[in-house]
Amino acid sequence: MKKSAWGMVDAFFDKYNLVDHHIKSYNDFVNHRIQDIIDIAEPITLEQGAYSVQTGKLEIKPPFTKEADGSKSHIFPTEARLRNLTYSAHMYLEMALSKGEEQQDFEKVYIGELPLMLKSDICHLSNLNEQELMAKGEDPQDPGGYFIVNGSERAIVTMEEIAPNKIILERIGEIEDRRARAIVTSIKSGFRARISLEYRKPRKTGVFLRISFPYVPGEIPLVVLLRALGLSTDEEIITHISDDFNYQMIVADDIQVSDPALKIEAEEMEELTKEERREYLTKSAIKYIGNRVAKGMTEEYRIRRAEDVIDRYLLPHMGIESENRAEKATYLAEMTEMLLQVISETREPHDKDHYTNKRLRVSGDLMEDLFRVAFTSLTRDMSYQLERSLARGKEPSVKQAVRSDVLTENIKHAIATGNWVGGRAGVSQLLDRTSYMGTLSHMRRVVSPLSRSQPHFEARDLHPTQFGKICPNETPEGPNCGLVKNLALMAKISEGSDPEEIENIIKKMGVLN
Amino acid sequence: MRGILKKISQIDFGLMSPEDIRKMSVTKIVTPDTYDEDGYPIENGLMDPRLGVIDPSLKCRTCASKGGECQGHFGSINLARPVIHVGFADTIHKILRSTCHSCGRILLTDSEIVDYREKFDTLIRNEESLTSIIKEVYTVARRDKCPHCEEDQEDVKIDKPVSIVEGNYKLTPSEVRERLETIPDSDALLLGVNALPDKDGNRIARPEWMVLTVLPVPPVTVRPSITLETGERSEDDLTHKLVDILRINQRLKENMEAGAPQLIVEDLWELLQYHVTTYFDNEASGVPPARHRSGRPLKTLAQRLKGKEGRFRSNLSGKRVNFSARTVISPDPNISINEVGVPEIIATEVTVPVYVTEWNIEEMKQCILNGPKVHPGANYAIRPDERKIRIYEETKEAVVDKIEPGWVVERHLKDGDIVLFNRQPSLHRMSMMAHEVRVLPYKTFRLNLCVCPPYNADFDGDEMNMHVFQTEESRAEAKSLMRVQEHILSPRFGGPIIGGIHDHISGAYLLTRKRAIFTEEQVFQILKKAKLPIPNRTGENWTGKQIFSQVLPKDMNIVYKAEICRKCDDCLKRECKNDAYVVIEDGQLLTGVIDEKAYGAFAGKILDHIVKEYGTDRAREFLDASTKLAVSGIMKAGFTTSTNDEEIPQEAKERIEVHLDNAEKKVDQLIEAYDNNELEALPGRSLEETLEMKIMQVLGEARDKSGEIAESYFDINENHAVIMALTGARGSMLNLTQITACVGQQAVRGGRIDRGYSERTLPHFQKRELGAKARGFVHSSYKEGLDPIEFFFHAMGGREGLVDTAIRTAQSGYMQRRLVNALQDLNVKEDGKVTDNRGVIIQTVYGEDLVDPAKSDYGKVVDLDKLIDEMRIKTGK
Repeated sequence: MKKSAWGMVDAFFDKYNLVDHHIKSYNDFVNHRIQDIIDIAEPITLEQGAYSVQTGKLEIKPPFTKEADGSKSHIFPTEARLRNLTYSAHMYLEMALSKGEEQQDFEKVYIGELPLMLKSDICHLSNLNEQELMAKGEDPQDPGGYFIVNGSERAIVTMEEIAPNKIILERIGEIEDRRARAIVTSIKSGFRARISLEYRKPRKTGVFLRISFPYVPGEIPLVVLLRALGLSTDEEIITHISDDFNYQMIVADDIQVSDPALKIEAEEMEELTKEERREYLTKSAIKYIGNRVAKGMTEEYRIRRAEDVIDRYLLPHMGIESENRAEKATYLAEMTEMLLQVISETREPHDKDHYTNKRLRVSGDLMEDLFRVAFTSLTRDMSYQLERSLARGKEPSVKQAVRSDVLTENIKHAIATGNWVGGRAGVSQLLDRTSYMGTLSHMRRVVSPLSRSQPHFEARDLHPTQFGKICPNETPEGPNCGLVKNLALMAKISEGSDPEEIENIIKKMGVLN
Repeated sequence: MRGILKKISQIDFGLMSPEDIRKMSVTKIVTPDTYDEDGYPIENGLMDPRLGVIDPSLKCRTCASKGGECQGHFGSINLARPVIHVGFADTIHKILRSTCHSCGRILLTDSEIVDYREKFDTLIRNEESLTSIIKEVYTVARRDKCPHCEEDQEDVKIDKPVSIVEGNYKLTPSEVRERLETIPDSDALLLGVNALPDKDGNRIARPEWMVLTVLPVPPVTVRPSITLETGERSEDDLTHKLVDILRINQRLKENMEAGAPQLIVEDLWELLQYHVTTYFDNEASGVPPARHRSGRPLKTLAQRLKGKEGRFRSNLSGKRVNFSARTVISPDPNISINEVGVPEIIATEVTVPVYVTEWNIEEMKQCILNGPKVHPGANYAIRPDERKIRIYEETKEAVVDKIEPGWVVERHLKDGDIVLFNRQPSLHRMSMMAHEVRVLPYKTFRLNLCVCPPYNADFDGDEMNMHVFQTEESRAEAKSLMRVQEHILSPRFGGPIIGGIHDHISGAYLLTRKRAIFTEEQVFQILKKAKLPIPNRTGENWTGKQIFSQVLPKDMNIVYKAEICRKCDDCLKRECKNDAYVVIEDGQLLTGVIDEKAYGAFAGKILDHIVKEYGTDRAREFLDASTKLAVSGIMKAGFTTSTNDEEIPQEAKERIEVHLDNAEKKVDQLIEAYDNNELEALPGRSLEETLEMKIMQVLGEARDKSGEIAESYFDINENHAVIMALTGARGSMLNLTQITACVGQQAVRGGRIDRGYSERTLPHFQKRELGAKARGFVHSSYKEGLDPIEFFFHAMGGREGLVDTAIRTAQSGYMQRRLVNALQDLNVKEDGKVTDNRGVIIQTVYGEDLVDPAKSDYGKVVDLDKLIDEMRIKTGK
């Protein structure tokens, strides 16, 4: 390589650290995402709304310890390591308990500890120079980016996942089988809703296109769902899906097959106006879904439940209000056309191993998952405590209701053992200290959630799209080969950005609508 | 404890009747507690002393034997209400579905019953399996109407794990039991339950016994409690579960007696069912597992038996042995292939039992006097009454005085003992071979390099196991069947699997090549080192071939082409300029060099010949001596390699460059032809496939040709890398080609690389580009260095290899396991018949030709060509 090029490499590492991805994402987590989680969380209400708890701003104080004699002092990582302590920040949340309508003043309540990533913004080490670091017993070369829990250093390993909020088309079996599936993993504030649309020849009778999504047991015909989403007439459904006559025929067949299940009475419809007719059709589809989601309940409840499920658990990233239904219907219709194109071999299915279809979840994202669950269990515990004190006739108080250990232990336990929420194990690992390079490599590790017991030949291959992003050489030998990867030396992970911001920029540039 | 007392003729597997359980029970268990405040077991409690003892100082109250000898006795719990046994829930469901709910008869017509009974009878008479016919009965015996009482039948469903539902009504276990009771014995047989009483009126099973009314309580020896250092008692998981059962049972009984409302009784009944279910199987689907206070799921009966860590796979199939040792292995070229170097520290630990006789009593006394710490010593002495006495420094004199013929002394391992040596994975019979012990200093097992191939061992940290035989019979058998020298020929291909490797090969080449001339002084040194007899002095120089002839049998005749043979069109035979035509006449190596084809593992012709014609003893001598000669030979010549060996002149580089450029152009032409639709498809291939094949072919040839160019500049006389490649010692010409000339096409799953971005592999190329480089052809050589794109493609090809090896080891392990399971009972009888364990003949003649592949000529019964050659030499033609 030319000398000048090496200069560029130096310049790169002057600006970026090898563990930047961890530190940046953790900072974002601490500075914004925790507050967001707290703001979104459902407020605690007691006794049918007689009491409620409001939450305000969160304050995070850098690590300190309380000694047995009650004295407080700043704690540095080295001390935590040596004394088997946890290097963690302390969180204080403004909370107010209001009785009925009257608003109470916020009071600051200690809610628990948050293990702190070394060299992140609130870490004591973040602004120290080399000499100061050495004085604090730190290796000035140490990159940070890991946690210290009960004295052991734990790194959160980056997880690779299939890109969420994106349609992934895949073929099942051989081309001749004429089976394919379109999958979207829709994520809305931590809730993952996987919907799967499958084209398959029915065994005896039935529809070709079936869709499954959370809270609906089994699969339902796509056309029924579209109808429930407001594409009520046959014509609307067909034209929304495709302009291609062949595809339209497939959908038309499905509509015909699925209609009897909706119990549409033709005579009843005849007397209705066009508007009423639409409503009638939509309603019958919703009833059909209602029978699935809340079998054996009253009709009123069934309808309510079905609408709720459609709004909240179907493609939640597009919104969870009933206004979003039309948009969702369009989305599904386009997805259907793409699927049919795969079946007719006019469109190639997606390459699941293509790095465009992958996302990396870094420590901040994983901490977010953890914190969300821990915080819900805290609020649940709080309402239990409040209820108990109410039942005993005591005056409820938020300060007493918060048991900070609930949050602290939840988070600490997960990081200490690696058993994350959602049953994933090995998310946090004991930081490799066999050598300095071992440490750096560990911090840049990327693991795939695919099981190591199955061959998964294709997933283990070095994919050309990994060029420049994933190290082509460093992967373990043995059962994890190709599933555990490492970031390329000069790869950095971009942090996601707010879609609205981008929308605004584009609009400012003159794009209309 | 000698001699067989009774012979088992038959084992019946059946169900236990409540009476059986009660009969077996030594006490009823009532109290859900274990010990009282004073720490004594409570009568009628779960630790009732009548259930057996663990403490060796106590006597059992039931059988009066001491703790450790008493294997324990069962107790029983009378359940307040019957409960379904989880293990039989499925069977119960199937039986109820196939029987009438009112009359209890099987849902088959009378004629069907007669039919099936006949079928059953023939099957039973022929001792054949009833499984499939029972399955058939269950499918046939499903009717809407009972053929016997005309009653309409409702559908019986099972709600996992133990609820039986008829229509919409959930049957209680009592109702289930009542129904099962009504099934006649003869109908039960058709349902796979052998309920017919034998001549004593005993039954093997009755359907209703699948619903428990009495629960057997296993003896305390099955569920011992442990005392922690703190003095606290900790009970076994089974005891915990039994406590739960007893408690609920008690409450249920009290409530029933007090006439509690039906609802409460039913709830308790459910709870009892839950506890009994989890007592049997805590991982049954549909029930939340019962947990310990700490949140750990309890390990109940099924969990003790199931799976890899269960009783069967871990304790019954997987036994652990004494008199074994394991340590790191390292090479020793100076010991025989039959030997294994055993560290002294191991030799003093594992022992051989020796019967003391008049003839060896002095030797044994000396061993005992040496004690357990000094090497040829002894650790134990066993009296004629089988009492074992440990020998200590302090007591050794006392033992020596007592010893006399009839005793057994467990003496240390010493030189010449036969031991079994093994390296995992034990994939073939050569993975376990018998070696003679050589006690050596230091701490590793030492083995001759020739036995590396059968064990697949190397010395990068491999460990191996050694087992010491404990009986004369086993030693004799091992010595005649398992000795290393008996396994020089592999049954896999009838050729040698033990033989020279690596430096043995290049050493022999250096020793026997044409220009190798040695002074008499050097010759004597070499022969001395190989422990060969020193010939008389003549004052003349020796050729290397003469030296090597010293290890050949004096009457040996063989002719073959060596590994270095270039396969010329016109073979010059003895005048071969590469010296590749090997002729041995009357034990003299006349022409040709010794290389892999001579005595290498997998290929050695001379070695093969010696084993087959002169026996394994001679072969061992040959291998021991010839490898030592080769090592001397390599030491006299000196041997080294570096990248300088892969250096070629500028002119060669240019030639290669031109050649590769031409090939790439040819590829471009092919693509152009394809684009212009001028390419003709090969039969049975599409146009695209044809193009790919042709390109692959062109590029493959290009690499080979550039390798040939590079090769033409190499000199086998000077270049050690080439010597290794050509003699077959290590590496191949392809390796050298890749280092010097061109790495060549990288392939993933057999084809050129075509995955990646849409319509191209990397963004460095045009879309739909099919050229050599765009699809993973590496033009550069390793020595020159690869450019980033080439490097990446190379990593892709490399990754595939890595994944393949990782997956393959796991898969082949599983395949081996299945193969072994299928073949383990096969048995070759004296007359060559192959039978299974029941005596059913698999093959009338072993292998259909009665040939032992290890004794065959590379799998064939006779090698005619070889015989003719031999005859020719013998007759001098």
